[in-house]
Amino acid sequence: MATIYIDNQPYVVKDGQNLLRACLSLGFNLPYFCWHPAMNSVGACRQCAVKQFKDEKDTKGRIVMACMTLAADGTRISIDDPEVRRFRAGVIEFLMVNHPHDCPVCDEGGECHLQDMTVMTGHNYRRFRFRKRTHRNQELGPLVNHEMNRCIACYRCLRFYRDYAGGRDFDVFQWHNYVYFGRQSDGVLENEFSGNLVEVCPTGVFTDKTLKGHYTRKWDLQTAPSICVHCGLGCNTIPGERYGILRRIRNRYHREVNGYFLCDRGRYGYEFVNSPRRIRQPIFRSERSGAAQPVEKQAALEQAAKILGSGERVIGIGSSRASLEANFALRTLVGADRFYRGLAEAECRLLDTAIALLRDGPAPAASMSDAAQSDAVLVLGEDLTNTAPMLAYSVRQSTLQREIGLTKRLHVSWWDDAAIRQALQERRGPLYIATPAATKLDDVATEVYRAAPDDLVRFAQALAHALGAEIPPVSALPRKLAALADVVAEALYLARRPVVVCGTSSGSESLLRAAGNVAWALSAAEHRGQLCLVLPDCNSFGLGLLGGGSLADACRAIQEGKAETVVVLENDLSRHADQAALKLLDEVRHLVALDYLEHATTAAAELVFPAATFAEANGTLVNNEGRAQRSYQVFVPQGKTQASWRWLQEMMVAVGRQAEASWRSFDEITAALAEALPIFAAVKDIAPPEGFRMAGQRVPRQPHRYSGRTAMHAQADVHEPTPLADPDSPLSFSMEGSQRQPPPPLVPRFWAPGWNSMQAITRFQEEVNGPLRGGDSGRRLIEPQPDAAIRYFSDLPAEFEPRPDEWLLVPVDHIFGSEELSALSPGIAQLTPAPYLALSASDAAGANIQEGEKVVLAMDGLHQALPVRFLPSLPRGVAGLPVGLPGMMHVTLPGWAKLSKVTAS
Amino acid sequence: MTANDPNTRQNPHDLPPTGESAAKGPAAAGKKIAWVREPELGMAGRSYLMLFLQGLRTTLRHLLSRKTTVQSPEQRHVVPDPLIYRGVHRLNRDAQGRVKCVACFLCATACPAHCIDIVPAESPWPDRQKYPQSFTIDELRCIFCGMCEEACPVQAIELTSLYDLSGKSREEMVFDKAKLLSVFDQTKDAEPMTKGTGTFFGLPVSNEGTPGPAEK
Ligand code: SF4
Ligand code: SF4
Ligand code: SF4
Ligand code: SF4
Ligand code: FES
Repeated sequence: MATIYIDNQPYVVKDGQNLLRACLSLGFNLPYFCWHPAMNSVGACRQCAVKQFKDEKDTKGRIVMACMTLAADGTRISIDDPEVRRFRAGVIEFLMVNHPHDCPVCDEGGECHLQDMTVMTGHNYRRFRFRKRTHRNQELGPLVNHEMNRCIACYRCLRFYRDYAGGRDFDVFQWHNYVYFGRQSDGVLENEFSGNLVEVCPTGVFTDKTLKGHYTRKWDLQTAPSICVHCGLGCNTIPGERYGILRRIRNRYHREVNGYFLCDRGRYGYEFVNSPRRIRQPIFRSERSGAAQPVEKQAALEQAAKILGSGERVIGIGSSRASLEANFALRTLVGADRFYRGLAEAECRLLDTAIALLRDGPAPAASMSDAAQSDAVLVLGEDLTNTAPMLAYSVRQSTLQREIGLTKRLHVSWWDDAAIRQALQERRGPLYIATPAATKLDDVATEVYRAAPDDLVRFAQALAHALGAEIPPVSALPRKLAALADVVAEALYLARRPVVVCGTSSGSESLLRAAGNVAWALSAAEHRGQLCLVLPDCNSFGLGLLGGGSLADACRAIQEGKAETVVVLENDLSRHADQAALKLLDEVRHLVALDYLEHATTAAAELVFPAATFAEANGTLVNNEGRAQRSYQVFVPQGKTQASWRWLQEMMVAVGRQAEASWRSFDEITAALAEALPIFAAVKDIAPPEGFRMAGQRVPRQPHRYSGRTAMHAQADVHEPTPLADPDSPLSFSMEGSQRQPPPPLVPRFWAPGWNSMQAITRFQEEVNGPLRGGDSGRRLIEPQPDAAIRYFSDLPAEFEPRPDEWLLVPVDHIFGSEELSALSPGIAQLTPAPYLALSASDAAGANIQEGEKVVLAMDGLHQALPVRFLPSLPRGVAGLPVGLPGMMHVTLPGWAKLSKVTAS
Repeated sequence: MTANDPNTRQNPHDLPPTGESAAKGPAAAGKKIAWVREPELGMAGRSYLMLFLQGLRTTLRHLLSRKTTVQSPEQRHVVPDPLIYRGVHRLNRDAQGRVKCVACFLCATACPAHCIDIVPAESPWPDRQKYPQSFTIDELRCIFCGMCEEACPVQAIELTSLYDLSGKSREEMVFDKAKLLSVFDQTKDAEPMTKGTGTFFGLPVSNEGTPGPAEK
């Protein structure tokens, strides 16, 4: 700890940080531009100037940049000194020389860091009255808008995009007054984190393009804390709504999970909520293939009661994208033994394996922040950028960790970003990636290994053996590979916080278990080996803990006549079941579905209930590290839409089972869940209950400056509607309520007086980059067993042999397209590739197939003609099949397939 | 000014501090807080005599002054200066007859009665980004404070001197964009738009459009 003096008052701060960070942590208003809490200092903008004094006798002092000065013990500075205040106002005035001053028409207006800093420095009169330089804006694709005239050349965008996110297609051009930040020419930004430019850029150069289509200012948005539903990582988000339309998603800081950023899938995937394909009314089909008739809520419930009858021979199919509460309600409706998980058999097995690895072994689950702070990472079988994007971001940051440690002897402060990068040059810490095909992280990897899944298992097992796992050695490993395994083993062994990353997307259970072996062997050797397992959906983990059979089991029950009514919860079964299973489900006597979007399953259902999306209902989601997090309703949906658990509860009431479904509010159902299944005991404590009040008031979802309240509905009804009640949370659907900072799980937006932009975050943290005031939200449901006897997995698959007339199909994930909901959002849909088949060029040449040529793919249960795309990194005999893209059918991968050329008909 | 004005700001912890981290913050230093005491009332103040006499004087003055009551509606009240009167709103048009509003939401935000509602859309014209797709003022909820007029950076919304605002239903008094533009058409000759004497961020603002950087 160090004592520093700010304007003659002593403050105790942590050692080793810079003055800007210390001042912001202490709550001072000190303006800055080029510094960013996640990107540290470069000292480029000169905005954070303070006056530093030698000792108490020094009255003259000298102006220094707070972000570049160590807050050493005894440092004396002044923020309020008139000279330094003039200096800061002057810096802003210079920045403003070429700034267009078009706040009223600027999409950043009202949440602009430049605006805030201008007001903060007190520069309020423009003296410059000459021609301004202007730039040409670029067309950067469907997600991000570019308006270069507003740039103040702080270089944050460039640093984020290139140094942190690993983008290559963005740079700074020209010089002096003309510096230009953009691409070499117009075109879609290639990096998967490009949307963060919107929050990173302190001005309106980069703004959300999807928001532009239905623009609303920050203070006019109704917001609530939420969780991203587009992959298994559970990033914290802030969705904003007005007039019943979800308008945008912003990042919600969580120290352990997503930090300051989101991926583009999570940021721009929200528009499915506004889709014209939404189901807004209960639908009844008197004949299964007949036309859909909208029916009233009561009629639909009566119909449901008739179908569900006594409850016998009813099975329920849950969903990995539905909340714990919704799945639990279905499980209660049908009974635990008749609840199925809505996942293919292979998916269930992978999920169970992953959870068991984290629950039964000694290696703890790594959060994203653990991964980012790791000094040696091994990735097995996951293309992280496409399956768990923000984890890819974290792993990219991890490559600096070890090297930053090594720069200590150069006496460079860890926060001096430019100096650190200068010292490091291209040196990166150990990151080993073993996957079937190239990944976007390869550019920072120490070494990559491309092989078929079975060979990856062999490699991982060799590694585990080298680390001391009690498993037989892998014989007949090629010499080079054995050497690589030794190198990787050594790097992991020497690391202080090694992390092994694996996941379910490769489809290989053995690979998961081999990854577990590696992490466990590290743990056994007293090296905190951490395991980070990627799961496909936002609530995969929760569904896994809830248990239940697979879709195949459900089909078996139908075949055996044990089920004649099937209730499907928020699940498009065509994404998890093959043709035969779908046909079987089609033929079942009654099919009831609850979902928000029309798809194959709702189209076949006799009765469909309009379910609420993540933005329209509360829910608890469990992310890939087992952290249960609460997501809150943002707005009240149109039509008859309501939360799935409410529909299921009403169905139970309709069939006369009130006693079992006595929950009327969200708190009651979470309490029931916690009681019924002890593993979920913590779920009811992860956020304050409905009765929570601050000074007797709720937490308002609408900011205190929310405009047009009395007129926004006037065209429909001149009477101002009463604010809607929220029986499920301590948040209110109005601007009335407490303006104090709520506890972290309830923070609906980041705003503080004088801090309208996202940078207000420092006012919500206990210290810069620390937890939010009140601690990290969410709670892990499972803990590792450090003392349990380790039971290593010792199976070893045979070496992969290419077959002469068959190909091993491995899954290829796409950040844009592979996830069901985001793919329905227009912006993301534009970036989604059309279905294809990936082959390596040499394999294709061997089979005499040209790029772009159509081939027919034949495998068990699948027959599809697809154009061929070359993926040079694929191993011999292996082909890639994109999964989940619209228009692709479900298959269990990896699997062998025959290819034949389409003969011209 | 507000808490972020460097000249008056005393407590950087603008939000009520929570948790212990705040205790070490500058709020704890508690500097520059001056306690002000109410002045004591003297004998004259406590007897109310002076105040009573002052009140009587006002009454007398009005008894003797010229009568200003107008026999409305037979007689019409003449607004002395229509340009500063705060009556019904109008949405101004530019030289080409297009709505001048750029959908910035400043009027809606400034409105203390929250009675202005604007739905923006991307503008069909190249010289601006947004325009109001719909613009609604609930004239019954409006308190005619003129804050909207004051806030508008492009002089698109103005309060006219039309004061005899009435209607047969509440619905009728919800003015939409067309109606607000028609008020402009009715009043534009009698009350020309504010001339380009205003300044916006220190720049003179002309009526013919907002100043912007010249195209390169
Ligand atoms: S970037 Fe900020 S300061 Fe500049 S015009 Fe936009 S809102 Fe105003
Ligand atoms: S575009 Fe934004 S982030 Fe990039 S240099 Fe300009 S102001 Fe800074
Ligand atoms: S990484 Fe996953 S959870 Fe995070 S924003 Fe992206 S899709 Fe959402
Ligand atoms: S302040 Fe003026 S330009 Fe802005 S929305 Fe209101 S009328 Fe339109
Ligand atoms: S923030 Fe310190 S120089 Fe830019």
